[in-house]
Amino acid sequence: MAFDPSKSWDTYPDIEITLNVNGKNYKVKVKPYERLIDVLRYKLGFTGVKEGCGRGECGACVVLMDGELVPSCLVLAVRANGKKIITVEGLAPEGKLHAVQKAFLDTFAVQCGFCFPGFAIAIKHLLDKNPNPSEEEIKEALSGNLCRCGSYYRLIKAAKLASEYVRQGKIYFDVKR
Amino acid sequence: MSTIFIHRFDVVQPSSLEEALKILAEEGESVTPMAGGTDVMILIRDGVIKVKKILDLWPLRSQLSYIKREDGYVKIGALTTVTELEKSWLVNDKRYAGFRDVIIGFATPYLRSLATVGGNIGTGHPLSDIGVLLLTLDAEVVLLSADGERIVPLKEFYLGKRKINRKPNELITEVRFKEAPGNSSTAFIKFDRRRGHSMGYVLVAAYLALKGNVIEDVKIAFDSIGRPYPERAVKTESFLKGKEFSLENIRKAYNEVLPTEMSRISDYRASAEYRLDLSKVLMKRALLRAKERIESR
Repeated sequence: MAFDPSKSWDTYPDIEITLNVNGKNYKVKVKPYERLIDVLRYKLGFTGVKEGCGRGECGACVVLMDGELVPSCLVLAVRANGKKIITVEGLAPEGKLHAVQKAFLDTFAVQCGFCFPGFAIAIKHLLDKNPNPSEEEIKEALSGNLCRCGSYYRLIKAAKLASEYVRQGKIYFDVKR
Repeated sequence: MSTIFIHRFDVVQPSSLEEALKILAEEGESVTPMAGGTDVMILIRDGVIKVKKILDLWPLRSQLSYIKREDGYVKIGALTTVTELEKSWLVNDKRYAGFRDVIIGFATPYLRSLATVGGNIGTGHPLSDIGVLLLTLDAEVVLLSADGERIVPLKEFYLGKRKINRKPNELITEVRFKEAPGNSSTAFIKFDRRRGHSMGYVLVAAYLALKGNVIEDVKIAFDSIGRPYPERAVKTESFLKGKEFSLENIRKAYNEVLPTEMSRISDYRASAEYRLDLSKVLMKRALLRAKERIESR
């Protein structure tokens, strides 16, 4: 018989919560101490949410929760009950690219790519509020996202290009193969 | 498999303020109230604190998130986030422009949407931006329990590092301060090597009220004067009060009076000498910035 830690010593109760992730409802059983990032990654498979530092310093795990930018590593899963969550997977419909993703490809902004989901969500959050941000505003909005490759110059370029796309009304792009 | 917490814990989510107070009254010290969680979650993760049960206050936000003027007071709900503060009228009022300084340097955009005013004070950490600024506004903390309301002046609220004047059955529900007069303004400066995402080597906030060129009232607060919690530099304040606002007087205040009441610590971030030096310079800058704001009207 396989070893099941939850049966042998974890006496904390399972709590059933409903999460709306990228427009789809999911019913999941979570433990009270589980973080949103754990549920998104390991229970629902949204591995686009990355865990960098796990303490709200790097911005790799940010998601949109009811339109607010939050670090999913500091939010308990039970707190997200009934909330609408957008991860990088939900930026564009299946088979399409969001303006932010297209801009990242066009500017070759990403090197290793670990920070990208966080940056993409942070830029989307910025453009939702302000489709015409200045360079200062972009820097301020991305100030909490760290890129260990040091690709900041091109990340800011990508954010500018994405804002141009959004202003031109080009939100979704077809994927070229 | 999916958690990194060494210590596991239970969570209880109250549906109303009354229910939260009931839980605190019954279980007291065994529950840890959590507002935004930007501090508590990290303390648990690092194993600094061991919690049995967390009282998640987030569901109470509909009741405790507000900024309003009432009976000559500005009242801020304990669960008002920094993002909400940023969008409020408060930051556009020149008397409270210090809040704009606080928000600009406050952590990062995504932490601002979780971090709350009550939490910033309730963690009892000396490097608490909002706490230092509120000290200069003579703020009061409203604590609610099943037994009733208790109002504590913020300067008596800090008892030590991470120690606050809160009984286990109480909840911080509101922070309030008297409306400042029209001839006054506030300023806040946090000094670090970078602007965002920083704790600050030295935090200083200043409140200044001018009558002509005479200092009618002045309040200066630092992240620490000698003890490990934010306090006001009362001797420096009383030296400056009633004097003319001039660089000479300010220089005298920070060179001759401030060092008599301030003792700083050395750690891996900065030395005591450097911190004292910074405190002097930043105090001057904060006062000048406040004066500029008063005159810009």
